Amino acid sequence: MKKILILATLLAFLSGGILPLFSEALSGREILRRMQRNEIYGSMRSEGSWIIRDRFGTREKTFKVYSLGTEKTLIVFTNPEEEGQKILRVGNEIYLYFPDAEEVIRIEGSAMRDSVLGSDFSYEDMTGQKDLLDSYDAILEGEDTIEGKSCYKLRLKAKRPDVVYPMEELWVDKKNYALRRAYYYALSGRKIKELDIGEVRMIKGRAVPVHFVMRDLLKKNSQTEFIISKIEIDVPVDEKLFSLEELSW
Amino acid sequence: MKLSTVAFRNIRRNKRRSILSGSAIAIAVMSMVMLFALEEGMMDDFMRNVKSFVTGSIRIRNARYSQNERLNPLHLRIKNYRQVMDICSQNENVAAISPKISFYTAIYRGGNNYRGIGIGVDFARAEKFQHFSKSLKEGRIPKEGSREILIAEGLAGEMKVGVGDKITLLSKSMYMGMTGMTFKVSGIVRFNVASFNKNFIFIPLTTVQRFLKMGDSVTEMQLLVKDEGKLDETVDELKTALKETPGLEVKSWKNIGTWYFLKRYADVAYQFIGLIFFILASTVIMNTTMMVVFERRREIGTIGAMGMTGSEIVLLFFLEAFFISLIASAAGALVGVALVLPFVKTGFDFSSMLQGISWEISEVIYPELKPGTVIMVFFYAVAVSSFASLIPSWRSSRVEPAEALRSV
Repeated sequence: MKKILILATLLAFLSGGILPLFSEALSGREILRRMQRNEIYGSMRSEGSWIIRDRFGTREKTFKVYSLGTEKTLIVFTNPEEEGQKILRVGNEIYLYFPDAEEVIRIEGSAMRDSVLGSDFSYEDMTGQKDLLDSYDAILEGEDTIEGKSCYKLRLKAKRPDVVYPMEELWVDKKNYALRRAYYYALSGRKIKELDIGEVRMIKGRAVPVHFVMRDLLKKNSQTEFIISKIEIDVPVDEKLFSLEELSW
Repeated sequence: MKLSTVAFRNIRRNKRRSILSGSAIAIAVMSMVMLFALEEGMMDDFMRNVKSFVTGSIRIRNARYSQNERLNPLHLRIKNYRQVMDICSQNENVAAISPKISFYTAIYRGGNNYRGIGIGVDFARAEKFQHFSKSLKEGRIPKEGSREILIAEGLAGEMKVGVGDKITLLSKSMYMGMTGMTFKVSGIVRFNVASFNKNFIFIPLTTVQRFLKMGDSVTEMQLLVKDEGKLDETVDELKTALKETPGLEVKSWKNIGTWYFLKRYADVAYQFIGLIFFILASTVIMNTTMMVVFERRREIGTIGAMGMTGSEIVLLFFLEAFFISLIASAAGALVGVALVLPFVKTGFDFSSMLQGISWEISEVIYPELKPGTVIMVFFYAVAVSSFASLIPSWRSSRVEPAEALRSV
């Protein structure tokens, strides 16, 4: 009983005393690493939808996503208008498959920044960025409160020119290191996109955003709501899914 | 003796002076006849191309499509176009109707991307507009409903595709999503307009409806009219007839874009250039008449002393200029017509000049000789040249007979 009491006291001391002192000392890079731990999975299967709102009204697109690590992602659209269309990312290459096309289309250059299905996401946004720790220097700028959640505010500056956004501002939840808000900037310093995370769900010890809104500020009155209705992390995903041969089947 | 007889005698007596004045006028008139023939040919060609390929004489669209055209909003379409077509065809002045869908496309071939403008047409109906049978250089017109494509020669050359080859088109569907489809090239067309040859592709309408997921709808309808003089009247009649189909925009080609403005601007510019030609010719006439006045001071003094009044002296010099300009203008007009006539059939080839210019102007321009224009140039030249002589003539009338007789 005495041992339990000592252990409890020690835990209370660590959690209430020393850990906050450590967290105060967290660097921008460490916060980014912890945030990425939430977002990078060995494998993932999910289903979701986009609700795109712009000057022409509201449209819904539904899809399934499969991924293996950070290098391989496959999106299969399931809504009637785009049923069967697929986007495959393997490393730096992005391929499109259309049921009525006899060849697989490779997206490259500036086309990577084109909107996907008229949404506020580009192909680069959709298929995931490279490892942020490798691509950016993270500077902790302070703390802020987003929707009642206490957050770290990070400024990310690109280390190399081949990243999607040369500068980013991120607000990371202090409690679970989930991303709560992100601003994306062009090289000119102009803010071009805003991401607001609504709901975060704890899955296998990871804080996973399942409801968020992206706004492309270069488009007038446009926003895309991203809703993940079903998600499984670290489950078996067949590697064959990510081959070009499999894409057209 | 009549003044006109004296004026004629003076013209004959001073042949070198008369030929100098006359040739200046003749060259101006000849140039004007040629310039206007070319301008009229060019403008008619421009209007024909705009109406055939871009607007029709009358264009019907969903009004909101025009407001958002930059975004290519295919969902702002004409849903009940067959009904609209039926209503339009009942108008007596409507000669042809062509429903179509225009869209921007990226053409994918062998890993390379090319830009193009896709047009979905009912080939049978569109023949009266785009004259595919005349422009077809190789292969055949696509079959309705097939995944076949007709491609402009310049674009085919750029992509190195020929009849039988396959290309994949990517575009934005009516639902703003991406769509892709593979087509087989059934024919190559060569249009007379360089910009059309560079990026146009034509596909059967029903196939484009499927490709862009548009159902049985189109983005616009083009109409040709029998009598262009009744164009505005026909537009009003169609607006009334289509009152039950709200949201449609009915416009004559004159009120679409800047084409008509450009045509009118070009007309004014050419007329201004013509005026400059005449002013230059007129300065020669004024110069020679003034020289004559100084050369003939003794003669003016003599006829003044013999009792000829100031106004009669002015009239005499005016008549001399009038007769010279009459003969020279007629000669200039005839030479101009003779020089233009061979080109009316063969045309002027501007293809090398028009490379890279995206104007709706054909590479070969056929000048048009309109009798009305030639007659207008003739009378204009006679009037300007004759009146240009009035200033020196008026000066001659002020010469005192005694003073004039004393001079050398």
